[in-house]
Amino acid sequence: MISIQNITKNFDNNIAVNNLSLEIKNGEIYGLLGSNGAGKSTTINILLGFLKPDEGFATINGIDTTSDFISARKHIGYISENVSLYPYLSGLENLDYFCKLSGKTLGQNKLHKLLRECGLENGVHNKRIEYYSKGMRQKVGIAIALAKEASVYLLDEPASGLDPLASNELSIMLKKLSKDNAAILMASHDIFRVRETCNRIGIIKKGELVKEMNTSDVSTKELEKIYIDYIQN
Amino acid sequence: MINIIIVEWKRFIRNKLFVYVTAFFILSLLLIVFLGIEQNYNQQLRQTQAQKYVRQQWESLENVNPHRAAHYGTYAFKPVNVLNSMDSGINDITGNVIKLEGHVQNEIVYSEASQSLSISKFGKLKSSLILQYVIPLFLIFLAYGSLSNEKETQRLKLLVFQGTSLTKITFAKSLSVWIYGLTLLVITIFIQSILGETDLEIFTRMMFIIISYGVYYFIVSSLATYLSVRLRNNTSALSSILAIWIIWTIFLPKIWGNAVEKIYPLPSRQSFKTSMKIDRSKGIDGHNPTDKRREDLKVKYLAQYDVDSLKNLPINFDGIVMQQDEEYGNLVWDKHFGNNYNILQRQKTLFQISGILNPFVSLQSLSMGFCGSDMYHHLDFLKKSEDYRRYLLKTLNDKHAYGGSRTGDWKWTVGSNFFKSIDDFSHQIPKITSQMEHYLIDMICLLFWGFMLPMIIKHRTNRDLV
Repeated sequence: MISIQNITKNFDNNIAVNNLSLEIKNGEIYGLLGSNGAGKSTTINILLGFLKPDEGFATINGIDTTSDFISARKHIGYISENVSLYPYLSGLENLDYFCKLSGKTLGQNKLHKLLRECGLENGVHNKRIEYYSKGMRQKVGIAIALAKEASVYLLDEPASGLDPLASNELSIMLKKLSKDNAAILMASHDIFRVRETCNRIGIIKKGELVKEMNTSDVSTKELEKIYIDYIQN
Repeated sequence: MINIIIVEWKRFIRNKLFVYVTAFFILSLLLIVFLGIEQNYNQQLRQTQAQKYVRQQWESLENVNPHRAAHYGTYAFKPVNVLNSMDSGINDITGNVIKLEGHVQNEIVYSEASQSLSISKFGKLKSSLILQYVIPLFLIFLAYGSLSNEKETQRLKLLVFQGTSLTKITFAKSLSVWIYGLTLLVITIFIQSILGETDLEIFTRMMFIIISYGVYYFIVSSLATYLSVRLRNNTSALSSILAIWIIWTIFLPKIWGNAVEKIYPLPSRQSFKTSMKIDRSKGIDGHNPTDKRREDLKVKYLAQYDVDSLKNLPINFDGIVMQQDEEYGNLVWDKHFGNNYNILQRQKTLFQISGILNPFVSLQSLSMGFCGSDMYHHLDFLKKSEDYRRYLLKTLNDKHAYGGSRTGDWKWTVGSNFFKSIDDFSHQIPKITSQMEHYLIDMICLLFWGFMLPMIIKHRTNRDLV
């Protein structure tokens, strides 16, 4: 479960997040929509323990992400917008390495299986990342996050660079994870993907959560209109 | 940590430029070590031949007055060991032969002239040059971007997020680079030990060389990695570490060296010689029969042997006078040379203390010391050769005095058997364990840096840097 309580974060007197409160239960996929600089990434960085909020606090499964970020991270799978991997290692080696860093030593079969599940065919597993497209790298990043078998997933523009088919596969995968009782926060400005994937949606503007709704209550078109209205006004 | 090191090594090995540079380093080191040992061997051979020739001439002295033989004198050769081919230290400028004769303590002469032109301009190409300057520079190039690059690509966030602390990542990256330097170092020493003659003493010294360079490489790689994690980007990290490297290797040693010479100045050669001459003139003049001090000694010996004139003395008084002259000369030498020795020691100590600010100075001092080519080894040779000169002169003067001749009998001679019976000069490089006190400051400074940097990395790398 993800809990954010009255978080405020300033950078040199510029408000990045303003009194934000949010709760995402297990089995729920929450889409945080917002334009660039709205505060989505800052929120995720606070949850990851890379930033300390000026006010308020956040917890992951009840663990404070500020005071005990190391323990909190053990429960989190994270996918960033630009998955930066080691270009001189293969996809398989990258996955193996990041798994080992998180304390997991998976066998070769398991590693191949994970990559296949994320949409990478066997033939590319042993190719160096420098020859991968952005979408393929993103898939390795997703495999790294999934390998953690976490109960909470934080995704910062995860579909960035993915082709429509891969994006769809990502949506299916996230839904499967939520069925397995994971709590998922997905920050994005891709209205369609958020509408397709999430159960609940929030719109963030200048660090404030200005609107929250259930996905079932709005169509993609309506969501687009609401989003544009909130962002423009 | 081992996983990070393995991945770093994959980064190195899968980079063709790195492989070429490494191959170039290994070949260069192999060639330099081989040429150094070859040159060393030739020098050793020439020296042995010269030493043998000098000894043969000495032993072939036939029917020569002992005091004439004292003026004829002999030569002491500073021995060359296999480690000199690695770091020639001050040997290039101090010379390696000293003439030992009566009445005078000569200065060491004949520095190795085979590369004099290149010495004066660039310094000799020894493996120490590569190990002290080139390899650390390459370690800097490997380390400076190791973390700033991770930061710039946002990969550091992913690494830290996976559950590895930034401190651990920094240590692992620094160790990866350090292992590379250590590998080149061990290869060099290994080649050195295979190609050159190695005994227990040389082996012990090699171990100390590996430890000293190993600690220094650790300092360089840790500092470069630390700056890489602290500073904002690659450019800042590289320029900072290069600036430090230039200050360490070029500016600080020169500035501090000049300051040390000002604080503890050595007398000029002229004033040293003048003071020696003045003090020496206060003693007995062995060749001046009207000298008053000689007269006092004569009265003493006449009384001792209960005779009224030198003619009736059963010994050769000239030999006694010559020895007295030598002993007085020795006191004068001890006083003035001792003074210089103290100044040199103070200079060296003060210079070594700068290792607190500049570990490069400590490394250089230890490298020369363990290779047997520093000031202390040189002074040890000078002392041993002077001791031999004293032994030689005393033996000759005693023969002159008590060998059967009478005072004034300058035509009295001895045969070659006597000259053969005098031991030849033999000098071995002192055991390094007996010399360690001279290098304590260097070792402390190097260890201080070696412990301080990990402490800084441990306490100054936190999540704010990610």
